[in-house]
Amino acid sequence: MTESTVILILVIVTALGFDFTNGFHDTANAMATSIATGALRPKVAVALSGALNLVGAFLSVEVALTVTNAVVNLQTSNGTPKESLTADGGVALLLIILAGLVGGIVWNLLTWLLGLPSSSSHALFGGLIGATIAGLGWSGVNWNGNGTKLDGVVGKVILPAVLSPVVAGVVAAVGTWLIYRAVVGVAERYTNNGFRWGQIGSASLVSLAHGTNDAQKTMGVITLALLASGHWTSTSSIPFWVKVCCAVAIAAGTYLGGWRIIRTLGKGLVEISPPQGMAAESASAAVILASSHLGFALSTTHVATGSILGSGVGRPGAQVRWRVAGRMVSAWLITLPAAAVVGAIMWYLGDLIGGVAGAIVIFLLLLAAAGYMYLRSRRTPVSHENVNDEWDEVAPPEKVPAGAAG
Amino acid sequence: MWNNVEFSFEAVWKVLLVGLVLGAGLPLIFALGIRSLAWGSGGDAEVHTAGTTGTRANPFGTVLGWFLFLVVLAGIALGITFIVASGFGKQLSFEHIFPTIVDKH
Repeated sequence: MTESTVILILVIVTALGFDFTNGFHDTANAMATSIATGALRPKVAVALSGALNLVGAFLSVEVALTVTNAVVNLQTSNGTPKESLTADGGVALLLIILAGLVGGIVWNLLTWLLGLPSSSSHALFGGLIGATIAGLGWSGVNWNGNGTKLDGVVGKVILPAVLSPVVAGVVAAVGTWLIYRAVVGVAERYTNNGFRWGQIGSASLVSLAHGTNDAQKTMGVITLALLASGHWTSTSSIPFWVKVCCAVAIAAGTYLGGWRIIRTLGKGLVEISPPQGMAAESASAAVILASSHLGFALSTTHVATGSILGSGVGRPGAQVRWRVAGRMVSAWLITLPAAAVVGAIMWYLGDLIGGVAGAIVIFLLLLAAAGYMYLRSRRTPVSHENVNDEWDEVAPPEKVPAGAAG
Repeated sequence: MWNNVEFSFEAVWKVLLVGLVLGAGLPLIFALGIRSLAWGSGGDAEVHTAGTTGTRANPFGTVLGWFLFLVVLAGIALGITFIVASGFGKQLSFEHIFPTIVDKH
């Protein structure tokens, strides 16, 4: 086996690992509301979402080869890797991809440990950007595109991240308000039952859209690695086995269920009722679909969070925990730079050691970090059994000295 | 940089518009469907003063309710067609008012 083949295998395994974390990180986007309102039992919800992600991944036959072009200059516009990077069986390019993926996974796991719904796309792009800056310098990054269309880090990552939660929030708030107006005078038990069905339907649509959007990114990255090492030559198709592996990885991840994140989104932000849940998921589905139609790249995480917040704003008398929302927004802000820093460090380390040994070392570091975070998560486990527990611990009655009240 | 900001706002108001029509409009129709069904079955489905039996059942409400659900289902079917079509390099065109599947350009 040549040097580049060994690194290629590491890249593929790591990419599938990223796809897996992408799955459980984002289960919450579709299913948190249905689980919180009891429309679906937790296990049923993740199974449904996993199955729909699997189907969705296969529906996305659109070639996703140029996925990295949005943020870095590793490929030409038709998808072939830059020639300067393919010498020696593409080792230079493979190391950048590997370091970038490690950055993405580490950040995904850390935010999962903290129960924060951060964007998996930002983690992936952040890791790739960091590894590219380390490997090729600042000019290796496509910051702004060429000014003829939405492109680059600013156009494909930063602006959508700012705008999409707001749009989703507005849609969900309007939807929630309209729904509550429409069912005034109908008995609550009667409406809740109906809205649970609406919720399941809209959440399924979000899961399907997620499979088509997110699995593609990993497929594109793996195919790029295959092209760089000369194991694949077509730039108009993706090997079928890559599609199968990515679909299975994201579906398995989704089925595992990122319970910590589901809990934050479903219980932490807003106490969700079935009408709000339906409004939130419908808003997410509509915004994701409309955006992908218009080439406005966005993160399902940002949309789902914006929608849930909006459903809290739109319901008269509902309470929104802005403190939790604030923590999330700060996680969003640092996701890209943090993943970039990890990606860059990994690249320097891999480059310093060099060759196969360098790639193996950063892969082992990834395993160590993942293992550590898994063990940490066992201290305060969140599973399908306690995902719906009350968010606020019942506080002991405060002792208020007489006369101090008011 | 400013080009991108401009392009974003161009795309974003369209997303907002479509989002409002489908993402808030369809749930509203669904809610009205539930209201019609409640009207159709009468009795305890609607809020009424305790001790009374509530309104009588009204079959028209049931029919209207299911009709509204059909409208919502058609909307969802459109959504799924959209996902599948764009995956296969096609897109939905509303040029002839009725959605048709055409090649992407």
